[in-house]
Amino acid sequence: MIKVLFFGPVADRVQMRETQVEFTPGMTLHDIIAHLGMQYPGVFSIVSFFAVNQNQVHDKQMALQDNDEVAFMAKFSGG
Amino acid sequence: MLAAVRIQAEDFSQNEEVDALKAGSKCMGGIATFIGCARDFSEGREVSQIGFEAYGSMALAEMKKLRSEAIERFGLLDARIVHRVTTVQAGDNIVFIAAGAEHRAAAFDACRWMIDELKQRVPIWKKEITPQGEAWVTPHP
Repeated sequence: MIKVLFFGPVADRVQMRETQVEFTPGMTLHDIIAHLGMQYPGVFSIVSFFAVNQNQVHDKQMALQDNDEVAFMAKFSGG
Repeated sequence: MLAAVRIQAEDFSQNEEVDALKAGSKCMGGIATFIGCARDFSEGREVSQIGFEAYGSMALAEMKKLRSEAIERFGLLDARIVHRVTTVQAGDNIVFIAAGAEHRAAAFDACRWMIDELKQRVPIWKKEITPQGEAWVTPHP
């Protein structure tokens, strides 16, 4: 399974903080985005950053491994 | 001794942080600090509280990386970063940054660089709570 985390404004929009997506070999970050985009239309309009296993990722074609942790994040506003 | 990089709910003491910074080296000739605190207004609206949320593990890792990069980039003797993640009232402390160097220029530059980078790179979000309702903050440059 892929653990998917949501924070702040993104969590508010999907009305949850965590979900799981079944892992299939060859799965990419883009596949997760497409899968969740269908379930939650419009949510990715506020997503500015992606992280896989707590590292920011820019390449949506990045291959995922089973048990990876993916996070979808809006622009940061700390400080 | 408190860790040099922390995320915590409770307030911090600037004096304790500066003492900890100074304890590391007697070569420190300049220390620059920044404290971010909660305003009671934002874009013309009254703000009563600010709530923070973080992707804790990633935020702490990124803050540690930020500190190491600052030490390397500006030749600092030491640096500290503390961010509160809780709900704060107007006037409360939010974030503390300190840079210690042999001379003031590096300390000033590094302090500014660290808070600017933190805002860009560390996964923390703030929500303003006003009498009219709550709203996540759009980042300022």
